[in-house]
Amino acid sequence: MMRGTRIRNIIYLLSLITSALVFQGSRNRIPGEPTPLKIFYPAYFGNRVNIPVENPTTEEGVELGRMLFYETALSSNNWVSCGTCHRQDLAFTDGKQFSEGVDGVVQPRNTMSLANLLWVRQFFWDGKTRGLEDQSIVPMTGVHEMGQSLEVSVNKLKAIKRYSSFFMNAFGSEQITSLRIRQALAQFQRTLVSCNSRYDQYLRGEYQPTASELNGISLFFTNPNPSKGIRGAGCGGCHGGPKTYNELFHNNGLDSVITDRGRQDVTGKEEDLGRFRVVTLRNIALTAPYMHDARFRSLNEVLEHYNKEMIRTPTLSPALQNNSNNLDGRSLGLTKKERGDLVAFLLLLTDSTFITDPRFSNPYKQ
Amino acid sequence: MRRISCFLITLFGCLQLLTAQDSLTKPTIKVTGEVIKELNLTQKDIAGMPRVNAILRDRDGKNVTYTGVALQDILELAGISTGKDLRGENLSKYLLVKCSDGYEVLFSLAEIDKGFTDRVIILADESMGKPLPPAKGPFRIIVPGEKVPARSSFQVVELVVAFAKE
Repeated sequence: MMRGTRIRNIIYLLSLITSALVFQGSRNRIPGEPTPLKIFYPAYFGNRVNIPVENPTTEEGVELGRMLFYETALSSNNWVSCGTCHRQDLAFTDGKQFSEGVDGVVQPRNTMSLANLLWVRQFFWDGKTRGLEDQSIVPMTGVHEMGQSLEVSVNKLKAIKRYSSFFMNAFGSEQITSLRIRQALAQFQRTLVSCNSRYDQYLRGEYQPTASELNGISLFFTNPNPSKGIRGAGCGGCHGGPKTYNELFHNNGLDSVITDRGRQDVTGKEEDLGRFRVVTLRNIALTAPYMHDARFRSLNEVLEHYNKEMIRTPTLSPALQNNSNNLDGRSLGLTKKERGDLVAFLLLLTDSTFITDPRFSNPYKQ
Repeated sequence: MRRISCFLITLFGCLQLLTAQDSLTKPTIKVTGEVIKELNLTQKDIAGMPRVNAILRDRDGKNVTYTGVALQDILELAGISTGKDLRGENLSKYLLVKCSDGYEVLFSLAEIDKGFTDRVIILADESMGKPLPPAKGPFRIIVPGEKVPARSSFQVVELVVAFAKE
Protein backbone atom coordinates (compact mmCIF):
# COMPACT_ATOMS: atom_id res chain seq x y z
CA MET A 1 0.00 0.00 0.00
CA MET A 2 2.78 2.39 1.07
CA ARG A 3 4.82 1.37 -1.94
CA GLY A 4 1.86 1.96 -4.26
CA THR A 5 1.35 5.44 -2.81
CA ARG A 6 5.02 6.23 -3.23
CA ILE A 7 4.97 5.10 -6.86
CA ARG A 8 1.84 7.20 -7.52
CA ASN A 9 3.48 10.25 -5.97
CA ILE A 10 6.60 9.71 -8.10
CA ILE A 11 4.41 9.41 -11.22
CA TYR A 12 2.58 12.60 -10.22
CA LEU A 13 5.85 14.50 -9.72
CA LEU A 14 7.18 13.18 -13.03
CA SER A 15 4.01 14.36 -14.78
CA LEU A 16 4.47 17.80 -13.24
CA ILE A 17 8.09 17.94 -14.39
CA THR A 18 7.12 16.66 -17.86
CA SER A 19 4.39 19.27 -18.23
CA ALA A 20 6.86 21.93 -17.11
CA LEU A 21 9.41 20.71 -19.69
CA VAL A 22 6.77 20.55 -22.43
CA PHE A 23 5.79 24.08 -21.56
CA GLN A 24 9.42 25.15 -21.46
CA GLY A 25 9.92 23.78 -24.96
CA SER A 26 6.84 25.36 -26.47
CA ARG A 27 7.08 28.84 -25.06
CA ASN A 28 8.22 31.75 -27.14
CA ARG A 29 10.82 33.23 -24.91
CA ILE A 30 11.79 36.78 -25.72
CA PRO A 31 15.34 37.63 -24.55
CA GLY A 32 15.29 40.04 -21.61
CA GLU A 33 11.60 39.53 -20.93
CA PRO A 34 10.12 37.43 -18.15
CA THR A 35 8.97 33.95 -19.12
CA PRO A 36 5.20 33.30 -19.01
CA LEU A 37 4.27 30.57 -16.53
CA LYS A 38 1.16 28.45 -16.87
CA ILE A 39 -0.10 27.41 -13.46
CA PHE A 40 -0.98 23.71 -13.40
CA TYR A 41 -4.36 22.67 -12.00
CA PRO A 42 -6.86 19.94 -12.84
CA ALA A 43 -9.74 20.63 -15.25
CA TYR A 44 -12.27 19.82 -12.51
CA PHE A 45 -11.16 22.96 -10.62
CA GLY A 46 -12.59 25.08 -13.43
CA ASN A 47 -11.07 28.11 -15.09
CA ARG A 48 -12.73 30.85 -13.11
CA VAL A 49 -9.30 32.02 -12.04
CA ASN A 50 -8.23 35.53 -11.18
CA ILE A 51 -5.08 36.81 -12.87
CA PRO A 52 -5.09 40.53 -13.68
CA VAL A 53 -3.99 41.44 -17.20
CA GLU A 54 -1.45 43.90 -15.81
CA ASN A 55 0.25 41.23 -13.69
CA PRO A 56 0.63 38.03 -15.71
CA THR A 57 2.31 35.10 -13.97
CA THR A 58 5.93 34.59 -14.98
CA GLU A 59 8.68 32.24 -13.83
CA GLU A 60 10.84 35.16 -12.72
CA GLY A 61 7.96 36.97 -11.01
CA VAL A 62 7.05 33.85 -9.04
CA GLU A 63 10.71 33.30 -8.09
CA LEU A 64 10.94 36.87 -6.78
CA GLY A 65 7.58 36.54 -5.07
CA ARG A 66 8.75 33.43 -3.24
CA MET A 67 11.84 35.30 -1.98
CA LEU A 68 9.71 38.22 -0.82
CA PHE A 69 7.19 35.88 0.85
CA TYR A 70 9.98 34.63 3.12
CA GLU A 71 11.78 38.01 3.40
CA THR A 72 11.95 39.23 7.01
CA ALA A 73 13.22 42.67 5.90
CA LEU A 74 9.60 43.41 5.00
CA SER A 75 8.82 43.71 8.71
CA SER A 76 9.75 46.52 11.07
CA ASN A 77 11.73 44.28 13.44
CA ASN A 78 13.30 42.19 10.64
CA TRP A 79 11.98 39.00 12.24
CA VAL A 80 8.64 38.47 10.58
CA SER A 81 7.89 37.42 7.01
CA CYS A 82 4.65 36.28 5.38
CA GLY A 83 5.93 32.76 5.94
CA THR A 84 6.04 33.29 9.72
CA CYS A 85 2.26 33.07 10.05
CA HIS A 86 1.75 31.08 6.84
CA ARG A 87 3.85 27.93 7.32
CA GLN A 88 3.97 25.53 4.41
CA ASP A 89 3.88 22.44 6.65
CA LEU A 90 0.52 23.62 8.01
CA ALA A 91 -0.93 24.46 4.59
CA PHE A 92 0.18 28.06 5.13
CA THR A 93 -1.41 28.60 8.53
CA ASP A 94 0.45 28.65 11.87
CA GLY A 95 -1.59 26.42 14.16
CA LYS A 96 -2.21 29.28 16.57
CA GLN A 97 -5.52 30.69 17.71
CA PHE A 98 -4.36 34.16 16.73
CA SER A 99 -1.02 35.08 15.15
CA GLU A 100 1.28 37.62 16.77
CA GLY A 101 2.57 40.66 14.92
CA VAL A 102 5.90 42.48 15.24
CA ASP A 103 4.76 44.15 18.46
CA GLY A 104 3.50 40.97 20.07
CA VAL A 105 -0.14 42.01 19.72
CA VAL A 106 -2.34 39.20 18.42
CA GLN A 107 -4.64 39.41 15.41
CA PRO A 108 -8.39 39.65 15.99
CA ARG A 109 -9.07 36.68 13.69
CA ASN A 110 -7.48 33.33 12.92
CA THR A 111 -4.85 33.16 10.15
CA MET A 112 -6.31 31.77 6.92
CA SER A 113 -4.78 29.07 4.71
CA LEU A 114 -3.29 30.19 1.39
CA ALA A 115 -4.26 27.13 -0.67
CA ASN A 116 -5.91 27.70 -4.05
CA LEU A 117 -6.06 31.49 -3.87
CA LEU A 118 -6.11 31.52 -7.67
CA TRP A 119 -9.91 31.12 -7.44
CA VAL A 120 -10.47 33.69 -4.66
CA ARG A 121 -11.68 37.17 -5.51
CA GLN A 122 -12.22 38.79 -2.11
CA PHE A 123 -9.69 38.22 0.63
CA PHE A 124 -9.70 37.93 4.43
CA TRP A 125 -12.52 36.57 6.58
CA ASP A 126 -14.65 39.59 5.70
CA GLY A 127 -13.63 39.95 2.04
CA LYS A 128 -12.30 43.45 2.60
CA THR A 129 -9.85 43.48 -0.30
CA ARG A 130 -10.27 42.48 -3.91
CA GLY A 131 -7.31 40.88 -5.63
CA LEU A 132 -4.06 39.49 -4.26
CA GLU A 133 -2.14 42.59 -5.33
CA ASP A 134 -4.08 44.66 -2.79
CA GLN A 135 -4.39 41.93 -0.18
CA SER A 136 -0.71 42.03 0.79
CA ILE A 137 -0.86 45.72 1.74
CA VAL A 138 -2.86 44.81 4.85
CA PRO A 139 -0.39 42.44 6.55
CA MET A 140 2.70 44.31 5.37
CA THR A 141 1.62 47.68 6.72
CA GLY A 142 -0.57 46.62 9.65
CA VAL A 143 0.83 47.97 12.93
CA HIS A 144 0.16 44.65 14.66
CA GLU A 145 1.31 42.54 11.72
CA MET A 146 4.53 43.32 9.85
CA GLY A 147 4.33 46.96 10.90
CA GLN A 148 6.21 48.72 8.15
CA SER A 149 5.22 51.21 5.46
CA LEU A 150 5.67 50.14 1.86
CA GLU A 151 8.12 53.04 1.35
CA VAL A 152 10.38 51.69 4.10
CA SER A 153 10.10 48.18 2.63
CA VAL A 154 11.15 49.48 -0.78
CA ASN A 155 14.18 51.25 0.71
CA LYS A 156 15.22 48.20 2.73
CA LEU A 157 15.04 45.96 -0.34
CA LYS A 158 17.07 48.51 -2.34
CA ALA A 159 19.81 48.12 0.27
CA ILE A 160 19.90 44.32 -0.22
CA LYS A 161 22.15 43.75 -3.20
CA ARG A 162 20.62 40.54 -4.54
CA TYR A 163 17.21 42.04 -5.24
CA SER A 164 18.07 44.39 -8.10
CA SER A 165 18.77 41.50 -10.48
CA PHE A 166 15.66 39.62 -9.38
CA PHE A 167 13.49 42.69 -10.02
CA MET A 168 15.25 43.13 -13.37
CA ASN A 169 14.44 39.55 -14.36
CA ALA A 170 10.85 39.74 -13.15
CA PHE A 171 9.85 43.17 -14.42
CA GLY A 172 12.44 44.18 -17.02
CA SER A 173 14.18 46.85 -14.93
CA GLU A 174 15.97 47.01 -11.60
CA GLN A 175 13.50 49.48 -10.20
CA ILE A 176 12.04 48.35 -6.88
CA THR A 177 8.58 49.73 -6.19
CA SER A 178 5.82 48.90 -3.77
CA LEU A 179 3.59 47.86 -6.69
CA ARG A 180 6.18 45.41 -7.95
CA ILE A 181 6.60 43.94 -4.46
CA ARG A 182 2.86 43.35 -4.29
CA GLN A 183 2.71 41.99 -7.83
CA ALA A 184 5.52 39.50 -7.23
CA LEU A 185 3.94 38.32 -3.96
CA ALA A 186 0.62 37.86 -5.77
CA GLN A 187 2.26 35.87 -8.56
CA PHE A 188 3.89 33.49 -6.08
CA GLN A 189 0.72 33.01 -4.05
CA ARG A 190 -1.29 32.20 -7.18
CA THR A 191 0.96 29.20 -7.71
CA LEU A 192 0.04 27.71 -4.31
CA VAL A 193 -2.31 25.15 -5.81
CA SER A 194 -3.24 22.09 -3.78
CA CYS A 195 -4.51 19.34 -6.08
CA ASN A 196 -2.82 16.06 -5.16
CA SER A 197 -4.68 14.92 -2.07
CA ARG A 198 -6.05 11.37 -1.87
CA TYR A 199 -9.39 12.90 -2.85
CA ASP A 200 -7.78 14.19 -6.05
CA GLN A 201 -6.23 10.77 -6.60
CA TYR A 202 -9.73 9.32 -6.20
CA LEU A 203 -11.10 11.82 -8.74
CA ARG A 204 -8.32 10.80 -11.13
CA GLY A 205 -9.18 7.12 -10.62
CA GLU A 206 -5.93 6.38 -8.79
CA TYR A 207 -7.22 5.78 -5.26
CA GLN A 208 -10.04 3.61 -3.97
CA PRO A 209 -11.57 5.19 -0.84
CA THR A 210 -12.61 3.03 2.07
CA ALA A 211 -16.31 2.44 2.74
CA SER A 212 -16.19 5.05 5.50
CA GLU A 213 -14.54 7.62 3.21
CA LEU A 214 -17.05 6.94 0.43
CA ASN A 215 -19.95 7.42 2.82
CA GLY A 216 -18.31 10.63 4.02
CA ILE A 217 -18.10 11.90 0.43
CA SER A 218 -21.75 11.03 -0.14
CA LEU A 219 -22.93 12.67 3.10
CA PHE A 220 -20.85 15.77 2.42
CA PHE A 221 -22.36 16.46 -1.00
CA THR A 222 -25.95 15.33 -0.26
CA ASN A 223 -28.71 17.44 1.23
CA PRO A 224 -30.78 15.52 3.79
CA ASN A 225 -34.32 14.64 2.78
CA PRO A 226 -35.91 12.53 5.53
CA SER A 227 -39.25 12.21 3.70
CA LYS A 228 -37.41 10.29 0.99
CA GLY A 229 -35.04 8.52 3.36
CA ILE A 230 -32.03 10.40 1.97
CA ARG A 231 -29.32 11.05 4.51
CA GLY A 232 -26.90 13.91 4.08
CA ALA A 233 -24.87 16.59 5.79
CA GLY A 234 -25.56 19.27 3.17
CA CYS A 235 -22.00 20.65 3.27
CA GLY A 236 -21.63 20.91 -0.52
CA GLY A 237 -24.05 23.81 -0.83
CA CYS A 238 -21.40 26.12 0.61
CA HIS A 239 -18.19 24.06 0.30
CA GLY A 240 -19.19 22.91 -3.17
CA GLY A 241 -17.33 21.14 -5.95
CA PRO A 242 -13.93 19.47 -5.94
CA LYS A 243 -12.27 22.68 -4.70
CA THR A 244 -14.59 22.50 -1.66
CA TYR A 245 -14.85 26.26 -2.11
CA ASN A 246 -17.47 28.74 -3.21
CA GLU A 247 -16.92 32.42 -2.66
CA LEU A 248 -19.69 32.97 -0.13
CA PHE A 249 -20.10 34.88 3.12
CA HIS A 250 -22.35 33.17 5.65
CA ASN A 251 -23.37 33.39 9.29
CA ASN A 252 -22.94 29.81 10.46
CA GLY A 253 -24.87 30.07 13.70
CA LEU A 254 -22.05 30.37 16.22
CA ASP A 255 -23.42 33.03 18.60
CA SER A 256 -26.68 34.53 19.78
CA VAL A 257 -24.92 37.84 20.48
CA ILE A 258 -22.60 38.68 17.63
CA THR A 259 -19.53 40.58 18.84
CA ASP A 260 -17.46 40.36 15.64
CA ARG A 261 -19.61 41.87 12.89
CA GLY A 262 -17.56 40.21 10.12
CA ARG A 263 -18.65 41.14 6.62
CA GLN A 264 -20.83 43.94 7.98
CA ASP A 265 -17.66 45.87 8.86
CA VAL A 266 -17.00 46.07 5.11
CA THR A 267 -20.46 46.60 3.63
CA GLY A 268 -22.35 48.27 6.49
CA LYS A 269 -25.37 46.18 5.49
CA GLU A 270 -27.78 44.69 7.97
CA GLU A 271 -27.81 41.27 6.30
CA ASP A 272 -24.04 40.94 6.61
CA LEU A 273 -23.95 40.90 10.41
CA GLY A 274 -21.86 37.95 11.58
CA ARG A 275 -21.11 36.74 8.07
CA PHE A 276 -17.65 35.38 7.29
CA ARG A 277 -16.04 33.91 4.22
CA VAL A 278 -16.73 30.22 3.64
CA VAL A 279 -13.25 28.72 3.55
CA THR A 280 -11.83 25.98 1.37
CA LEU A 281 -11.65 22.65 3.17
CA ARG A 282 -8.53 21.62 1.29
CA ASN A 283 -5.91 20.51 3.88
CA ILE A 284 -8.44 21.22 6.61
CA ALA A 285 -6.90 18.61 8.92
CA LEU A 286 -3.73 20.74 8.97
CA THR A 287 -5.29 24.11 9.62
CA ALA A 288 -6.74 23.83 13.16
CA PRO A 289 -8.03 25.65 15.13
CA TYR A 290 -11.21 26.43 13.20
CA MET A 291 -13.61 29.33 12.53
CA HIS A 292 -12.74 33.04 12.33
CA ASP A 293 -12.19 33.11 16.09
CA ALA A 294 -10.51 29.71 16.27
CA ARG A 295 -13.01 28.44 18.83
CA PHE A 296 -12.94 24.80 17.71
CA ARG A 297 -9.78 22.80 18.26
CA SER A 298 -10.67 19.74 16.21
CA LEU A 299 -12.75 18.61 13.24
CA ASN A 300 -14.93 16.64 15.67
CA GLU A 301 -15.79 19.86 17.49
CA VAL A 302 -16.66 21.52 14.19
CA LEU A 303 -18.95 18.66 13.23
CA GLU A 304 -20.59 18.71 16.65
CA HIS A 305 -21.38 22.38 16.06
CA TYR A 306 -23.01 21.76 12.69
CA ASN A 307 -24.85 18.71 14.03
CA LYS A 308 -26.65 20.53 16.83
CA GLU A 309 -29.42 23.08 16.52
CA MET A 310 -28.09 26.30 15.04
CA ILE A 311 -28.27 29.49 17.07
CA ARG A 312 -30.92 31.44 15.22
CA THR A 313 -30.20 35.08 14.54
CA PRO A 314 -31.80 37.09 11.73
CA THR A 315 -28.74 36.62 9.51
CA LEU A 316 -28.27 32.87 10.04
CA SER A 317 -27.49 31.25 6.69
CA PRO A 318 -30.64 29.79 5.06
CA ALA A 319 -28.44 26.83 4.10
CA LEU A 320 -28.23 25.94 7.80
CA GLN A 321 -31.94 26.24 8.49
CA ASN A 322 -34.43 23.39 8.19
CA ASN A 323 -31.54 21.10 7.38
CA SER A 324 -32.27 17.85 9.16
CA ASN A 325 -32.12 14.10 8.69
CA ASN A 326 -35.18 13.71 10.90
CA LEU A 327 -38.75 14.64 9.97
CA ASP A 328 -39.52 17.96 11.70
CA GLY A 329 -36.00 17.86 13.16
CA ARG A 330 -34.36 21.08 14.30
CA SER A 331 -30.80 19.82 14.09
CA LEU A 332 -28.83 18.01 11.39
CA GLY A 333 -29.11 14.75 13.32
CA LEU A 334 -26.11 12.84 12.00
CA THR A 335 -25.11 9.70 13.91
CA LYS A 336 -21.69 9.35 15.54
CA LYS A 337 -20.73 6.90 12.79
CA GLU A 338 -21.78 9.37 10.08
CA ARG A 339 -19.76 12.15 11.73
CA GLY A 340 -16.79 9.80 11.74
CA ASP A 341 -17.30 9.11 8.04
CA LEU A 342 -17.33 12.85 7.33
CA VAL A 343 -14.05 13.26 9.19
CA ALA A 344 -12.64 10.37 7.13
CA PHE A 345 -13.55 12.33 3.99
CA LEU A 346 -12.06 15.56 5.35
CA LEU A 347 -8.80 13.73 6.05
CA LEU A 348 -8.73 12.75 2.36
CA LEU A 349 -8.29 16.45 1.55
CA THR A 350 -4.77 16.59 3.03
CA ASP A 351 -2.24 17.08 0.26
CA SER A 352 1.23 15.94 1.34
CA THR A 353 2.69 17.05 -2.01
CA PHE A 354 1.48 20.62 -1.40
CA ILE A 355 3.07 20.91 2.03
CA THR A 356 6.42 19.51 0.90
CA ASP A 357 6.65 21.00 -2.60
CA PRO A 358 10.10 22.65 -2.81
CA ARG A 359 8.70 25.35 -5.14
CA PHE A 360 6.74 26.76 -2.19
CA SER A 361 9.40 26.41 0.49
CA ASN A 362 11.60 29.01 2.15
CA PRO A 363 14.50 29.68 -0.29
CA TYR A 364 16.66 31.06 2.53
CA LYS A 365 16.63 27.74 4.36
CA GLN A 366 18.03 25.60 1.56
CA MET B 1 -29.03 86.91 6.40
CA ARG B 2 -25.58 85.35 6.61
CA ARG B 3 -26.70 83.17 9.52
CA ILE B 4 -29.70 81.94 7.54
CA SER B 5 -27.45 81.06 4.58
CA CYS B 6 -25.11 79.15 6.89
CA PHE B 7 -28.06 77.32 8.42
CA LEU B 8 -29.46 76.41 4.99
CA ILE B 9 -26.08 75.18 3.74
CA THR B 10 -25.65 73.03 6.87
CA LEU B 11 -29.20 71.69 6.54
CA PHE B 12 -28.63 70.86 2.86
CA GLY B 13 -25.36 69.13 3.74
CA CYS B 14 -27.07 67.04 6.42
CA LEU B 15 -29.84 66.03 4.01
CA GLN B 16 -27.27 65.01 1.42
CA LEU B 17 -25.44 62.91 4.02
CA LEU B 18 -28.67 61.24 5.11
CA THR B 19 -29.57 60.42 1.50
CA ALA B 20 -26.11 58.99 0.87
CA GLN B 21 -26.33 56.95 4.08
CA ASP B 22 -29.78 55.71 3.03
CA SER B 23 -28.58 54.49 -0.33
CA LEU B 24 -25.79 52.60 1.44
CA THR B 25 -27.99 50.82 3.95
CA LYS B 26 -31.41 50.53 2.26
CA PRO B 27 -31.76 47.47 0.04
CA THR B 28 -31.82 48.13 -3.67
CA ILE B 29 -31.53 46.15 -6.87
CA LYS B 30 -28.83 47.30 -9.24
CA VAL B 31 -29.12 46.52 -12.94
CA THR B 32 -25.75 46.84 -14.65
CA GLY B 33 -23.63 45.60 -17.55
CA GLU B 34 -24.72 45.57 -21.20
CA VAL B 35 -27.76 47.74 -20.62
CA ILE B 36 -28.87 51.01 -22.17
CA LYS B 37 -29.62 52.52 -18.79
CA GLU B 38 -28.19 51.31 -15.47
CA LEU B 39 -30.77 51.12 -12.70
CA ASN B 40 -30.75 51.21 -8.91
CA LEU B 41 -34.28 50.22 -7.95
CA THR B 42 -35.59 50.69 -4.42
CA GLN B 43 -38.24 48.54 -2.74
CA LYS B 44 -40.70 51.32 -3.53
CA ASP B 45 -39.73 51.28 -7.23
CA ILE B 46 -40.24 47.51 -7.37
CA ALA B 47 -43.57 47.74 -5.52
CA GLY B 48 -44.78 50.29 -8.09
CA MET B 49 -44.20 48.02 -11.11
CA PRO B 50 -46.78 45.60 -12.58
CA ARG B 51 -47.23 42.74 -10.08
CA VAL B 52 -47.22 39.09 -11.01
CA ASN B 53 -47.38 35.82 -9.07
CA ALA B 54 -45.16 32.77 -9.38
CA ILE B 55 -45.32 29.43 -7.63
CA LEU B 56 -42.38 27.59 -6.12
CA ARG B 57 -42.55 24.13 -4.61
CA ASP B 58 -40.86 24.15 -1.19
CA ARG B 59 -38.89 21.34 0.44
CA ASP B 60 -42.02 19.76 1.87
CA GLY B 61 -43.56 19.56 -1.59
CA LYS B 62 -46.07 22.34 -0.91
CA ASN B 63 -46.70 25.02 -3.52
CA VAL B 64 -45.97 28.51 -2.21
CA THR B 65 -47.11 31.61 -4.08
CA TYR B 66 -44.73 34.55 -4.38
CA THR B 67 -45.50 38.02 -5.71
CA GLY B 68 -43.15 40.43 -7.40
CA VAL B 69 -42.08 41.74 -10.79
CA ALA B 70 -41.31 39.80 -13.97
CA LEU B 71 -37.56 39.88 -14.59
CA GLN B 72 -38.32 40.80 -18.19
CA ASP B 73 -40.09 43.99 -17.06
CA ILE B 74 -37.00 45.03 -15.08
CA LEU B 75 -34.73 44.32 -18.04
CA GLU B 76 -37.00 46.32 -20.36
CA LEU B 77 -36.68 49.29 -17.98
CA ALA B 78 -32.93 49.00 -18.43
CA GLY B 79 -33.37 49.07 -22.21
CA ILE B 80 -32.59 45.43 -22.96
CA SER B 81 -33.81 43.98 -26.26
CA THR B 82 -36.72 41.63 -25.60
CA GLY B 83 -39.49 39.89 -27.53
CA LYS B 84 -39.11 40.24 -31.32
CA ASP B 85 -35.85 42.19 -30.86
CA LEU B 86 -34.24 39.37 -28.93
CA ARG B 87 -32.45 37.66 -31.80
CA GLY B 88 -29.11 37.47 -33.55
CA GLU B 89 -26.19 38.16 -31.26
CA ASN B 90 -28.54 39.20 -28.46
CA LEU B 91 -29.29 35.50 -28.04
CA SER B 92 -25.78 35.06 -26.67
CA LYS B 93 -26.54 37.48 -23.87
CA TYR B 94 -27.07 36.30 -20.31
CA LEU B 95 -28.26 37.60 -16.97
CA LEU B 96 -26.09 36.99 -13.93
CA VAL B 97 -28.00 37.25 -10.67
CA LYS B 98 -25.83 38.29 -7.70
CA CYS B 99 -26.86 37.76 -4.09
CA SER B 100 -25.60 39.53 -0.98
CA ASP B 101 -23.76 36.43 0.32
CA GLY B 102 -21.79 36.09 -2.94
CA TYR B 103 -24.04 33.40 -4.48
CA GLU B 104 -24.49 33.77 -8.24
CA VAL B 105 -26.79 32.12 -10.79
CA LEU B 106 -27.18 32.61 -14.50
CA PHE B 107 -30.02 32.71 -17.06
CA SER B 108 -29.85 33.19 -20.79
CA LEU B 109 -32.01 36.15 -21.80
CA ALA B 110 -34.21 33.86 -23.90
CA GLU B 111 -35.04 31.84 -20.78
CA ILE B 112 -36.75 34.83 -19.19
CA ASP B 113 -38.41 36.28 -22.27
CA LYS B 114 -42.17 35.99 -22.78
CA GLY B 115 -41.54 35.74 -26.54
CA PHE B 116 -39.73 32.45 -25.95
CA THR B 117 -41.46 30.88 -22.97
CA ASP B 118 -44.68 30.99 -21.00
CA ARG B 119 -42.77 30.50 -17.76
CA VAL B 120 -42.47 33.82 -15.93
CA ILE B 121 -39.42 34.19 -13.72
CA ILE B 122 -39.92 36.90 -11.16
CA LEU B 123 -38.05 39.02 -8.68
CA ALA B 124 -40.26 38.46 -5.65
CA ASP B 125 -40.63 40.76 -2.66
CA GLU B 126 -43.72 39.18 -1.04
CA SER B 127 -45.15 35.81 -0.20
CA MET B 128 -48.72 35.28 0.97
CA GLY B 129 -49.11 39.06 1.25
CA LYS B 130 -46.11 39.48 3.57
CA PRO B 131 -42.59 40.77 2.93
CA LEU B 132 -39.99 38.03 2.61
CA PRO B 133 -38.12 37.01 5.79
CA PRO B 134 -34.74 38.78 6.29
CA ALA B 135 -32.71 35.63 5.58
CA LYS B 136 -34.25 35.36 2.11
CA GLY B 137 -35.38 38.88 1.24
CA PRO B 138 -36.14 41.57 0.62
CA PHE B 139 -35.76 40.34 -2.96
CA ARG B 140 -35.41 36.82 -4.27
CA ILE B 141 -35.70 35.09 -7.62
CA ILE B 142 -38.55 32.64 -8.18
CA VAL B 143 -38.11 30.19 -11.05
CA PRO B 144 -41.30 28.15 -11.37
CA GLY B 145 -41.18 24.56 -12.56
CA GLU B 146 -37.55 23.66 -11.86
CA LYS B 147 -36.81 20.31 -10.21
CA VAL B 148 -34.42 21.91 -7.72
CA PRO B 149 -34.79 25.45 -6.39
CA ALA B 150 -31.08 26.27 -6.70
CA ARG B 151 -31.68 29.21 -9.05
CA SER B 152 -34.51 30.61 -6.93
CA SER B 153 -31.82 32.53 -5.09
CA PHE B 154 -32.14 34.65 -1.94
CA GLN B 155 -31.21 38.24 -1.05
CA VAL B 156 -30.67 39.37 -4.62
CA VAL B 157 -28.73 42.63 -4.88
CA GLU B 158 -27.67 42.93 -8.52
CA LEU B 159 -28.64 41.84 -12.02
CA VAL B 160 -25.75 41.94 -14.49
CA VAL B 161 -26.38 41.64 -18.22
CA ALA B 162 -23.47 40.53 -20.39
CA PHE B 163 -22.47 38.84 -23.63
CA ALA B 164 -21.04 35.34 -23.60
CA LYS B 165 -17.75 36.03 -25.33
CA GLU B 166 -16.45 32.56 -26.17
